[in-house]
Amino acid sequence: MEGQEQLMLVMGNITKRFPGIVANDHVNFELRKGEIHTLLGENGAGKSTLMNVLDGIYYPDEGEIAIEGKRVNLRSPLDSMKHSIGMIHQNFMLVASLSVIENVVLGLESQGFYIDKKSVAHQIEAIAKKYNFRVDPYAKIWQLSVGEQQRVEIIKTLFKGARILILDEPTAVLTPQESEELFGILREMKSEGKSIIFISHKLNEVMSVSDRITVLRKGRLVGTVDTASITERELAKMMIGRDILFRLERKDIEQGREVLTVEDAQAYNDRGTMALNKLSITVHGGEIMGVAGVAGNGQVELAECITGLRHLVSGHITVEGIDVTNATPCTLASAGVNYIPADRLGVGLVPNLSTVENAMLRKYRQQPMCRGAFIDYGAACTYADGLIEKFDIAVPLKNAPVKVLSGGNMQKLLLAREIEENPRLLIAEHPTRGLDVGATEFVRKTLLEQRDHGVAVLLISEDLDEILMVADRVAVMYEGRIVGIVDAHHVDIAQIGLMMAGAVGVKA
Amino acid sequence: MLRFEKRDKTPVRLRVLVPICSVLLGLLVGSIVMLFARVNPVRVYGAIVKGAFGSAYTFSETLVIAVPLILISAGLCLVYRMKFFNIGAKGQYIIGAICGSYLALFGPATMSRPLLLTLMMLLGTLGGALWAVIPALLKVYWNVNEVIATLLLNYIASYILWFFMYGTWRDPGSHGFPLSKNFALNAQLPRIIAAPSRLHIGLFFGVAAAVIVWIIIRKTRFGYEARVLGENERAARYAGINVVKTVIIGAVISGGLAGLAGIAHTSAVLRVLQLEINSDYGYTAIIAAWLAGLDPLVAIGVSVLLAALEAGGYQIQIVMRVPFGIVGVIESSILFCLLAGEIITHYRVTLTRRLSTPLALDERARGGA
Repeated sequence: MEGQEQLMLVMGNITKRFPGIVANDHVNFELRKGEIHTLLGENGAGKSTLMNVLDGIYYPDEGEIAIEGKRVNLRSPLDSMKHSIGMIHQNFMLVASLSVIENVVLGLESQGFYIDKKSVAHQIEAIAKKYNFRVDPYAKIWQLSVGEQQRVEIIKTLFKGARILILDEPTAVLTPQESEELFGILREMKSEGKSIIFISHKLNEVMSVSDRITVLRKGRLVGTVDTASITERELAKMMIGRDILFRLERKDIEQGREVLTVEDAQAYNDRGTMALNKLSITVHGGEIMGVAGVAGNGQVELAECITGLRHLVSGHITVEGIDVTNATPCTLASAGVNYIPADRLGVGLVPNLSTVENAMLRKYRQQPMCRGAFIDYGAACTYADGLIEKFDIAVPLKNAPVKVLSGGNMQKLLLAREIEENPRLLIAEHPTRGLDVGATEFVRKTLLEQRDHGVAVLLISEDLDEILMVADRVAVMYEGRIVGIVDAHHVDIAQIGLMMAGAVGVKA
Repeated sequence: MLRFEKRDKTPVRLRVLVPICSVLLGLLVGSIVMLFARVNPVRVYGAIVKGAFGSAYTFSETLVIAVPLILISAGLCLVYRMKFFNIGAKGQYIIGAICGSYLALFGPATMSRPLLLTLMMLLGTLGGALWAVIPALLKVYWNVNEVIATLLLNYIASYILWFFMYGTWRDPGSHGFPLSKNFALNAQLPRIIAAPSRLHIGLFFGVAAAVIVWIIIRKTRFGYEARVLGENERAARYAGINVVKTVIIGAVISGGLAGLAGIAHTSAVLRVLQLEINSDYGYTAIIAAWLAGLDPLVAIGVSVLLAALEAGGYQIQIVMRVPFGIVGVIESSILFCLLAGEIITHYRVTLTRRLSTPLALDERARGGA
């Protein structure tokens, strides 16, 4: 039977070493024609390295790659493209100010000096029609939603003749509905005989969309299984090597007083359009308020307004009864507002400074670190050691730049630093994005612990499962306002999904 | 085929070896150019070394050039760390020289020497600081790019100097040359070695400035805030760091040191205000700061080396009748090689050939197909 299945791609004994680490240790991977094959693994399991080898970005130290039975040497993304491999990265590689057509033909050698826009537009429309979606070839990228941009990426790879498509966590930025549509497109492509490699953390998606699953752990192959013959729980065990808690223990605690109230807040985003549209929300002590919504509906701006990084045009924000509208980050810090930003290296941490220097960022003005105009780096070091031990952060070198830490450890450091401030209000923005299962569990448990201590937690996340797992109430944001607040224990995902897409508003 | 891969960590061995090899390679490239100019590179390099370090006098002249470079680059090390790209040290140097010279030329003649000199140095520092605060304010309040603002202010400063030299400050006895009258002895910064050496006590200012800036960067709250700001402005704002204040203090320090360099050099070495007051040190110091990896103590050494090239350059011009441009060629080949060397310190470069591990892969692939 095995011989009947046509092998599109074989990667044999791929080994890739980086200084001090073996990212891929003799990994084997097979892809059949017309299959959706999921690559599953925690962060640092070697998925990205393996796919970068396939995309020609890294050259393996050992091992071979064959496409349709022929051995190939992939030395650059251009080589990979020539061998009909196309990768859709998590961060789209599109030029925002150019049109769909211009983005699609970008870097194509087959196009001469002059671009025949009409014929390209026809081809784009033909591709879109084949997979039952629409896209305006003349639209500029910045005018498109994230989901539409992703489709442009897909068209781009198909236009270049890709028969092996690699999608790196494609659903991370999509609503449930958009994800379903994407899966439709993928299934259609599969029936066309294309082969798809799908990278994801989300077990339910993996189960519903893929034919086979290959699991990696710590750079090694754990195994390849048929999706039909395995359960989510078994898969999770393969991935992390132990059972994980799918249900988190949560205590019933008394809801406290109002800690955060936002009233009729209005604020602009960076592009100068109204991002918060008379938004009101209240969070109590001992409560986790989940904020669900598709990216770009004002969640980031809401968090920035509360943390003093963005100005309100009108409206009020109070924390424990004190008016902190447009207060400085310093005032907010003394009011007990702490923040876990989505962009860890962009807002939360300073990538090129050391772990110690990052750990002290909120404490350096106080004793014992502050000695007049000077800083006692010895005390800072002791403080950092305390955090590292208490939160079990894996730090190879305390004085090395913090950017060399893994995503999970960076987040632990950030979380540790903010929680040590004894917050009254904790704002966590996508706190588990990009983290592996172990770190995710740690972060969620920490948030629940804070709630149990009476802290008000505002959890902004696109991951509905996460919100439903830890939040007490769920507020759904759409176009700069809260379209509905629901009890997290009495709601189904489909209903929230519809609210996120602006289809219904439900009042609490 | 060459492959480049980013290194996680650069071994210390490379960090020392690569710059040394880069300098040697730069000298080699420079010699090739010299061969075209029909001069013997070995003799030219010999003359440069001799011209810069050959005797106590020549070395002290090298240090005369190094002093302003040390002062200016110390300040630049600080502001570049906060990503305030001040390339206006030239203008700050000129304004510092003008401000300090005002006291020298028009100050009360009866003032005691230490007091007059102290006031001159302070006024020069203040002038340079103010000249740097202008672009800092423009940046923090109106988001004006400081590279352009500081660069344009260099021209304005030059023309202000022209204005005084061709105008009211010109010495009537100068036969029409754009010179001020000579500074009185009271307004001359003391030299520290016997004539003809012009080495002056500005050297101590320079070393002290470098040490103080090093302490500021490494040990103080301000230095920490400056580094956080430079690496990640959003994180700095979230941590409650006052961005406006930090940038302005940085500009004051860096502009002030450039102004001090200007007045010290004018008062001790030139002893007269004129059109040519070596304000291009403001540009050379940028190179010194970057080559030193923005460490003011390392910048002392780099400044001395760059000064040696310059001092040696005068020497070959005089002794070997080689055009001074050759020095520029040598300097830029060294710089070019140093920058190219950065690739090796940041990336692992490997030569790859076909892979050697034979596998049973072909069979499987063929069997499948």
